Amino acid sequence: MTDHLLLTALVVLAIVSVMAADLILSVLGLAAASAVLSIVIFRMGAPMAAVFELSVCAGLISALFVSVTGLIQPSRRQDVREHLRKKLARFWLLPLFAAGTGVIVFLISAYLPSYLPAGAPAEDVRAVLWEHRRLDMVGQVIILLAGVFGITVILKEKAE
Amino acid sequence: MNPEAAKLFPAVVAAAAALAVSGLYCLLATRNLLRALIGFEILVKGVTLFLVLAGYASGRSGLGQALVITLIVVEVAVIAVAVCIVLALHRHHRSIDTRTVENLKG
Repeated sequence: MTDHLLLTALVVLAIVSVMAADLILSVLGLAAASAVLSIVIFRMGAPMAAVFELSVCAGLISALFVSVTGLIQPSRRQDVREHLRKKLARFWLLPLFAAGTGVIVFLISAYLPSYLPAGAPAEDVRAVLWEHRRLDMVGQVIILLAGVFGITVILKEKAE
Repeated sequence: MNPEAAKLFPAVVAAAAALAVSGLYCLLATRNLLRALIGFEILVKGVTLFLVLAGYASGRSGLGQALVITLIVVEVAVIAVAVCIVLALHRHHRSIDTRTVENLKG
């Protein structure tokens, strides 16, 4: 029951995040969705992934979005109202579409487990990362360095 | 699959699909670049939920977690660079509307 409530809250928060007129509200919805997702992940037996999700996605990325939203000039109240009116015209299908997809997938998901491999003994995430997926770690380091380099180049001030 | 995972399986799959659809719809329908990034984030959350579910249902949660951690690292790098591009565009065009961004020069 708790899991179903959490999953419902997750989907509702995601839709709120997409539909909200105010960007700050949208970012807060995203942060709340990340926090709920980390609880769901923790309850599904993945504590390390839950910690990463909570600290990085709900914390770091939300802080990044909030700071960027603050840097970009806020819209006037009238503009926000006008924007919301236009957006509702574009997005009115979203709740129906998301709910419909959820129901269809729920109905066909009874056939999905047959595609999963048979149960294996539980593995320790540290052993998997450092012994079996060592190349992933190298890739992660390269991606992070590429990200840092990209940010430096993009935000570089032009020489006088 | 253990009975607990079997009980939870359809609901988690449905939630993950709804998240992915919401994110994709946001990416397709919005003209605000920051909102497009929020849509991308929601799409990635759906994928994260699918990966964790696959690990949980197959009993290989270690592998699922390792993939989720890799996904989160990639996501952070992509979002950080994309946010910087949005900031740079705002600096040049005073707008983050996709309709106002018409040239890719420089």
